[in-house]
Amino acid sequence: MPKFDNLPPELDKATDGLIQNLLASEPFQAYQKARVQYKSDQQAHALIGRLSTLQTELRRQQTNGRVAEADIKELGTVQAEVQSNSTLLSYSTTQQAAANFLREVNQDISQLLGVDFASLAKQSNCC
Amino acid sequence: MNAVKLNEIEAASPSVVYTAGRDFAAALAETAQFKAFEQAHEALSQDVTAQQTLAVYRNKVDSLSVLLKLNAASEAERAELEQLRQDYLTRASVQAYAAAQAELTSLCQEAAGKISAAIGLNYAASCGTSCCG
Repeated sequence: MPKFDNLPPELDKATDGLIQNLLASEPFQAYQKARVQYKSDQQAHALIGRLSTLQTELRRQQTNGRVAEADIKELGTVQAEVQSNSTLLSYSTTQQAAANFLREVNQDISQLLGVDFASLAKQSNCC
Repeated sequence: MNAVKLNEIEAASPSVVYTAGRDFAAALAETAQFKAFEQAHEALSQDVTAQQTLAVYRNKVDSLSVLLKLNAASEAERAELEQLRQDYLTRASVQAYAAAQAELTSLCQEAAGKISAAIGLNYAASCGTSCCG
């Protein structure tokens, strides 16, 4: 867990306040709930793992110029299973809603600052 | 006993979250880093020579864009472009602005990193500013 102890005290306090309120908001409460459910759902994890393995395998086959029909069919089946899995659906939907809410809060913050806070916070060396 | 769940009572309304966001913005605006950035930005915008040099550099890049893409610009043209770039980058106001921006960026990354770790979402990426551009 990274430590964030270089913030000036007043900003640190305000950051904690924003965190507490974000976590207490409806979009984030729903997201946290779905996140906990997702973490404990082994079937959902297995589905994601299967999808990822299949996608990697198909990319490898595409590079080699020969794609197995059976693998394409299986990918379609797994994708359909992922899209209809209630845990994954809930996780994805609530995450999107939380991100949308965060974007709105960021717009408000940025408007007050006169500069986009999220752009300043972007890590330039993360890729 | 009221049937309403405690979570539902305690959920923060959007207006409360916006207020916390504004408190955060106000605290950030009061930091030495933000004030230095604003000052450096103002100084840069007042530096007529820097603005003119930048305009000349941009015009030159535009006029050479096709040649540059084709890697067909002459040695002299490339040297002129590089000179203009250096003229701009070595201006005191430009260097002060870059330094102030770096300090502010570092502070914002720290704050956003703390928020991201706590909420389980990458702040910058979620707000549409992917680190991969």
